[in-house]
Amino acid sequence: MKRRNSALSRVFTALVFVFLYAPIFLLIIFSFNAGNSNIVWSGFSLNWYRELLHNRLILRSVYTTLLVSLLATAIATFAGTFAAIGFYSLRRRQRNLLNTVNNIPMMNADIVTGVAMCLFFVAFFGLWSDFANWFNGVQHFIELPSRLTLGFGTLLIAHVAFNIPYVILSVGPKLRQMDKNLVDAAQDLGCTWMQAFWKVILPEIKPGIVSGALTAFTMSVDDFIISYFTAGSSSSTLAMTIYGMTKKRVTPEINAVSTLLFVTVLLLLVITNLREARLERMGADAPRRSRTAERIAMAFSTPKGRWIQRGGAGVLAAGFLTAIILLTGATNSHPVVNVCSWGEYIDEELITQFEEETGIAVNYQTAESNEALYSLLKSGAGDYDVIVPSDYMISQLIEEDMLEKLDYGNIPNFSLISERFRNLPYDPQNEYTVPYAWGTVGIIYNTTMVDEPITSWDAMFDSRYQGEVLMFRNSRDAMATALLKLGYSLNTTDEAELREAFQLLQDAKSRGVYQSFVMDEIFQKLEGANAAVGAYYAGDYISMLENNEDLALVIPEEGSNWFMDAMCVLKDAPHKEEAEVWMNFIASTEANLANMDFIGYASPNEEALAQYPAYYEELYGEPLDPEIYEIMAVPQEILDKCEAYLVLPAETRKLYNDLWTELGI
Amino acid sequence: MSKELIRLRNLCMAYDDELVLDNLNLYINDKEFLTLLGPSGCGKTTTLRMIGGFATPTSGDVLFDGVRINDVPPHQRQINTVFQKYALFPHLNVFENVAFGLRMQRRPDPSDASGKRKLKIPEEEIRTRVLEMLESVSLKGFENRRTDALSGGQQQRVAIARALVNRPKVLLLDEPLGALDLKLRKDMQIELKRIQQQVGITFIYVTHDQEEALTMSDTIVVMDKGSIQQIGTPEDIYNEPKNAFVADFIGESNIIDGVMLQDNLVQMYGRKFPCLDGGFKENEPVDVVIRPEDIDIVPVEQGQLTGTVTSVTFKGMQYDIIVDFRGFKWLIQTTDHSPAGARIGIKIDPDGIHVMKKSQYSGMFGDYSSFSDEYDELDAAEPSEEESGDEK
Repeated sequence: MKRRNSALSRVFTALVFVFLYAPIFLLIIFSFNAGNSNIVWSGFSLNWYRELLHNRLILRSVYTTLLVSLLATAIATFAGTFAAIGFYSLRRRQRNLLNTVNNIPMMNADIVTGVAMCLFFVAFFGLWSDFANWFNGVQHFIELPSRLTLGFGTLLIAHVAFNIPYVILSVGPKLRQMDKNLVDAAQDLGCTWMQAFWKVILPEIKPGIVSGALTAFTMSVDDFIISYFTAGSSSSTLAMTIYGMTKKRVTPEINAVSTLLFVTVLLLLVITNLREARLERMGADAPRRSRTAERIAMAFSTPKGRWIQRGGAGVLAAGFLTAIILLTGATNSHPVVNVCSWGEYIDEELITQFEEETGIAVNYQTAESNEALYSLLKSGAGDYDVIVPSDYMISQLIEEDMLEKLDYGNIPNFSLISERFRNLPYDPQNEYTVPYAWGTVGIIYNTTMVDEPITSWDAMFDSRYQGEVLMFRNSRDAMATALLKLGYSLNTTDEAELREAFQLLQDAKSRGVYQSFVMDEIFQKLEGANAAVGAYYAGDYISMLENNEDLALVIPEEGSNWFMDAMCVLKDAPHKEEAEVWMNFIASTEANLANMDFIGYASPNEEALAQYPAYYEELYGEPLDPEIYEIMAVPQEILDKCEAYLVLPAETRKLYNDLWTELGI
Repeated sequence: MSKELIRLRNLCMAYDDELVLDNLNLYINDKEFLTLLGPSGCGKTTTLRMIGGFATPTSGDVLFDGVRINDVPPHQRQINTVFQKYALFPHLNVFENVAFGLRMQRRPDPSDASGKRKLKIPEEEIRTRVLEMLESVSLKGFENRRTDALSGGQQQRVAIARALVNRPKVLLLDEPLGALDLKLRKDMQIELKRIQQQVGITFIYVTHDQEEALTMSDTIVVMDKGSIQQIGTPEDIYNEPKNAFVADFIGESNIIDGVMLQDNLVQMYGRKFPCLDGGFKENEPVDVVIRPEDIDIVPVEQGQLTGTVTSVTFKGMQYDIIVDFRGFKWLIQTTDHSPAGARIGIKIDPDGIHVMKKSQYSGMFGDYSSFSDEYDELDAAEPSEEESGDEK
């Protein structure tokens, strides 16, 4: 009986560990995959790690992460240690109260902390700008900056704030373990309080400080949520960058960087735990230090050794200061432009090229969707210069007076934009926008999993594909598939038509047609043949095809949605001039060719559109499949059958919301 | 004893309106071994901390060599302390612990005429002094040990060495032997006294252990409730306690209500006892202290008082006998065995009787009723006619 129990419990333990670690091992294994799939193993390679070294977005965010973590750890360790000493000198009741207060931020949900900090900073910036305007008005000696934004500073403050409790928590017990008389004894033997602190308290609580600092550093490196809300547009930590990259699909490059992050945090944890274990052992039976350790300690305690120690500390401190100065210098002296776009929506070579040509640094961020971008802007957290929203969102932003009119004199390359993509309904006078890329929505399906080629939107509601269909997880696109099938306008405001479309969706959902409602997860699902049919953006089909040759795309006969993403400048953007330089650069034919090749969406630049097949051939040494070209740049006759989204009136938007809620996704 | 070194003048100390020291006055002579003795909470440690500079009196003065040092921080006083539980620095080895104070010291540079430039003590001198000091506390060869690898007694000696190596004028010791076991404590008592005589400086010693105080001190200051109850040599304190508190706290005492009929004659239990005390008013009510070892057991018919043995405890050197004298229990220490239940007589020599004025402590101490189970007889402490009749 007993043996079986123990065998069972062993199996159970093993299962628990498999459950905990299998996903991480999978991730690590596939970071060494030669191919770019997460499902098919195509040989061992370190390519993705090499790739990392050339990914400026990642390198930059690693730099940001390390810098913010180190600085925040240093500041929090300093502040937390003295706070703990302050707590320690209080009476028990006050101390317990403060300790409880100290614990709350650690238990608090990160999302709450993050949102609260974001709100706090934005509110403070508002007050500050009032104050600075008043101050600059009444005197002219000192010019205070009136516009503060979220950025490295706020990120650092937030990290310091959430790190301090960990330091206090780890230093506090060490202080309480310390003999109360030690400080008295040191003073008795000739120390001032400060000397007693350095010579006696510090060595006593050093283990606590070190493990507090390690914990704080780990927390900082690890943090995503709080950073996400406080970093603003100009800084991005590694975790934020990884999150941005996973929007489309988890590439092995992400696996590689995640592996490195995992290993880093693991190492830190191991170091912390080993330290603690060692200290505990020493406390338990107090063995003497090993001979080598003893000898090293002896060497360092000679006068010469102490100078070496001090020298080392000095070099470290100097290095640290230099890093800070370099950083502040880097952010202050160079012109900057803050760009927010979509994941994998630019050839990053272009950013490097732009920075080299113009000397303007680019802070490149990504948002998840038009709606997410909108709420970010509304909350005041998204202080970008350039954004790249889609057509309907542009008209909404214009309507709400959130965009700045452009000076097209600074954007000569706008003349390269095709006539047919100018003065579109979202910006009829073309005062606000420079088109970035356009595309259509189509049905992507796996030819081996369907009986006959799909030609109509009916497929999205067909019981034959029960459990194999992937539907959009956003109300506008999902309703559009139904409206298209029914032959109604995508911009209809007729409640009856909308309810009919909704009925169609709900009916198909209740029949179990949909496997799930997805956005970028569709890449994995279709590439891995986990689903047969799904509606998505045509440009993305091309990158899916690279991973699964059985996939086909159709623009259904009823027509479809076509969309345009265009660059705009936000109202009162601090770097409007740089923003226009950037937009001009992106509008050039060379940039459009590079982007079209990288993202697979069509360029609005007529020259680039025409030159792309030749560009492709030159680049890859083989001609571009005309069918692919047609998918990227849909011929005008098909485009004529497609309709672009317009911004819907408020009551229709509400109806969309209500229906979407009723559908219960 | 030579000249006065430390004087405490009208010292008061209050924590949150609670008076910890109440108008304390005391002087301490150079080279004296003085013990502050009292139960916990009596203010003895607070007094010590004021001398050391770790606490500032609410009012009153601390004078050192005639100079007021109330506001002088601890590191500038020529005083060192041996703390409770030693407070050795765990991150330093024995040598560095002892050298700590010397490394902190700065003394004027002899080659600098202005005297402003200060020099550290040379490493050579530190080494010599530390090793010498370790040798004098019998810790030669322990220099490189970690302090937590030492026994309690060894740690104790490191603490003493660490304080004495600075050649202070005064050494404060705060219950330094409290953490040691009995045997070690006895050895260390003698050791401490030896060290004090060897270095020839003032020791101010805080303890609640009356035996420790009696063994080592030149002067004992008995304290209770923030006030000094009595100052004196160990012999004075033991033989001539000022009040019931001192009598009870130092050694064992039977404290009996009495009336001073005239000089050298006190009445207890309605009976007259010759004694050696005087200076009281006629018929003044007093507390009479009789030490348990000063009572002789005699046959009933020869006894000044007769009582019943209620319990007997064997203590090795003597028996502790509880005797009931009309409801009031006495402790008698004797080498003769008397079985429980036996009627005995007792006799007290005049020099075994010590008469004290009544104080706030009267009636609180000196009864050994808790030794027996006959509590109900307490109320009948009045001398009863028939028993006094038996005696006469």
